[in-house]
Amino acid sequence: MKFNKILSVASLMCVFALTTPVLAGCGSSRSDSDAIYICVYDGGYGTAWIESLAEQYSELTGVRVVAEADESILDRIEDAVSHGSDYDIYMSHDINWQAYAAQGWLEPLDDIYETEVEGTGKTFAERNLEQNLEYSRTTGDDGQEHYYKVCYTQGCGGIVYNIDMFEKYGWEVPTTYEELTELCKTIVDANIIDDDRNVLVPFTWSGTDRQYYWDYIVFEWWAQLAGVDKVEAICRYYGPEDVNNYDPNDLDALTNVYNGYELYNPDTYYKEFIEAYSLWYDLIAEHPEYSTSGAQGYNLMSAQSEFVNQRAAMIPYAQWAKYEISSVAEDGEIPFNIGFMNTPTAPNAKEEGPFNYLVGYGDSMIIPSNAYNVEGAKDFLLFMATYDACYTFVDKAEGAFLAFDYSDVDISGLTETDTYTKSVYDKLTQSTSFTVASTNPITVWTSNKVMPWVNNDYYYALALSNNANDKASAAPAAVGAKMYADANAGWQGWCMSAGL
Amino acid sequence: MKTGALKVQRIETSDSTITEEVTGEPEEKVLTPKQKHRRHVIKQSTIFVIVMLAYPVAQFLLMWVGVNINSILLAFQKPVQGKLQFVGWDDLFYNFKVLFLSFGESSTQRMFAVSAGYIVVSCFVTLPIALIFSYFIFKKIMAAGFFKAIFYLPSVIPLVALTLVYSLFFNVNGPGYYLFGDNVANFFTGSSAQWMVYIFCVWAGIGYDVILITSGMARIPRDILEQCKMDGTPGIVEFVRIIIPLTWSTITTLFILGMMSMFNVYLQPYFLTSGQYGTMTIGLEIYQESGGSGLNTPATLGLFCSLIGAPVILLVRWGMNKCFKDAEF
Repeated sequence: MKFNKILSVASLMCVFALTTPVLAGCGSSRSDSDAIYICVYDGGYGTAWIESLAEQYSELTGVRVVAEADESILDRIEDAVSHGSDYDIYMSHDINWQAYAAQGWLEPLDDIYETEVEGTGKTFAERNLEQNLEYSRTTGDDGQEHYYKVCYTQGCGGIVYNIDMFEKYGWEVPTTYEELTELCKTIVDANIIDDDRNVLVPFTWSGTDRQYYWDYIVFEWWAQLAGVDKVEAICRYYGPEDVNNYDPNDLDALTNVYNGYELYNPDTYYKEFIEAYSLWYDLIAEHPEYSTSGAQGYNLMSAQSEFVNQRAAMIPYAQWAKYEISSVAEDGEIPFNIGFMNTPTAPNAKEEGPFNYLVGYGDSMIIPSNAYNVEGAKDFLLFMATYDACYTFVDKAEGAFLAFDYSDVDISGLTETDTYTKSVYDKLTQSTSFTVASTNPITVWTSNKVMPWVNNDYYYALALSNNANDKASAAPAAVGAKMYADANAGWQGWCMSAGL
Repeated sequence: MKTGALKVQRIETSDSTITEEVTGEPEEKVLTPKQKHRRHVIKQSTIFVIVMLAYPVAQFLLMWVGVNINSILLAFQKPVQGKLQFVGWDDLFYNFKVLFLSFGESSTQRMFAVSAGYIVVSCFVTLPIALIFSYFIFKKIMAAGFFKAIFYLPSVIPLVALTLVYSLFFNVNGPGYYLFGDNVANFFTGSSAQWMVYIFCVWAGIGYDVILITSGMARIPRDILEQCKMDGTPGIVEFVRIIIPLTWSTITTLFILGMMSMFNVYLQPYFLTSGQYGTMTIGLEIYQESGGSGLNTPATLGLFCSLIGAPVILLVRWGMNKCFKDAEF
């Protein structure tokens, strides 16, 4: 009798325990069935743009748009798209959209790519940048290829400089690497000291948080030295058929994924990458006086503050520079004009450019297949491709651009009044853009292994170290040899991890 | 509800044995108001027990049983046409082969070495220091309560805030600059980065150990300590011969927890160095890999570590329990 009672209590408890979460999950319903819920990564673009777009869309259609910014979105997104999403659209970097699409968790977007965007006379596909289309398609759970994402922003990175300071001291914006070297020397030799006895230096940068911002310059030098075709071919990570006998300039022969590690060979395929890094090393690591003292130990805020306080003339950054740097400025406004310069041309450049490395090109806008309002979400994405929405994004995101074609978008109202927006616009429209994004399964199924810097190991901060051994380990030859060795040692396992 | 009872008739047989025979129809049992009340209370308490236990049971089933079963299953899956699928019986240990291949990578070798270093840090640095400080606090040195609070402070402050304070202290614009000069810029880059993470773990970990050990020491009967005093036992002898054996169960627990840090330290290097400069740990690798698509890889690493770690930890626990007889007091 007692045992039966215990058994019945235990059974009841288990039933209750198991059904509670299920029932809780069933409870998610919306009072406004037409509303569109959007979750945006809370990063360097702020939230003013999405609030403004939501308002415009609501005025236009009468549909309520609820937008929320969340910096922990990536921790929960997989669970959301697989089991039940609270949002109809997600916008973020680092979304594993190919894997989600293969599981059937994403809504195919083929129909909106064929739909005409209102007021433009162009289809959604035509409103996209040409290279977007390749990077937005993948194989779905039906075995067919579909569009599953919309590219979010078109990135722009490089050297941001203090325009007013350059004008004040009569410094020319450098167009070649030699001119950049000369400019750095000029700035240091001028020995300009501010009221707080700080000496003005050419660069400030963050070695602890954001050393990879130097990539935006180094990658463009790489493109200049190797050519965009070679850079993009390498970043597909398919190696030569025969690793003992190949022509590193025959890019069509890169077909064997199992030999992908050979692409990191510093004597052949990766030679130009190491040369590009050497240019940086010679400029910055060999001249610590060109950076704020201890930059390798700076966090991002320290670097931003140095730039805002005009203790450095230049800072490596990306398209979110103005928004982020403004946040540390007094009154939230940078007290001088800033802008991107074209990355100075490298010596012996194969292609002079100018080039634009599409920073954050892997950023995505996706609709979960289990979203509550799929049709509404699609309509909102179509709205984002309109000229008005594109304009609003640039205006409210402080100079960042959506990944749509801006050639027909009149943003003269912004470029005439803001040097920063103009510099981004010029870089995007007058440069050859390229990306290091890859659709190789290895890059999808392994994290932070196969990328321009193998294992996601960076050497910029290390190169500026006072420790001789550390500095030596960041020398270009050592870095090239280490990356090749690491790739060689890991490649077979990475292929297997990707199911190859 | 009415309940009945069967009539029981006692029958005495010729050989003086007594047997009981069940006869007749069940007799309806009438409950007194007191019994009714008791049953009502029992019913209510049953509901109470169910409600109270439902959440922890649900938590256990979902977050422990469910997650672990899922993790074990993931270790036997691999990507096939974009989806994770069972590896097949003919190649059941596919992911383990991949794992063993990764042992050839210098980054993996370093990751295991660095992770093992946390055992040394936790068990042979933090724990002995905590033991000594705990004894001082237990002996009520001047401002013992203050020190106790100071030691415990890092344990109640969120780790993200603690790491921020620590890294800002050693920032080029922080107070550390006045102590170490320009060298602070290199503290979190290169070869010194790992030492900085270890030092942080010692600093932040002592408080937790101190609290547990002092609690253990507080249970030691005063009689024993007074006897020591009367015998004129030196402090060091009292510490080694009396205090340590009598707090051995607490020390064993902390030692085991320290051994487990080889597998579960991940936030400290994540916040301080992002796992760069050879500071990657097994826990951080699993955490970062879990953010990607290939969940089979971290699941396999986790299962491998469990299979290796669990027997070793159990063995150490058994060995430590043999050191001193468990004292009842």
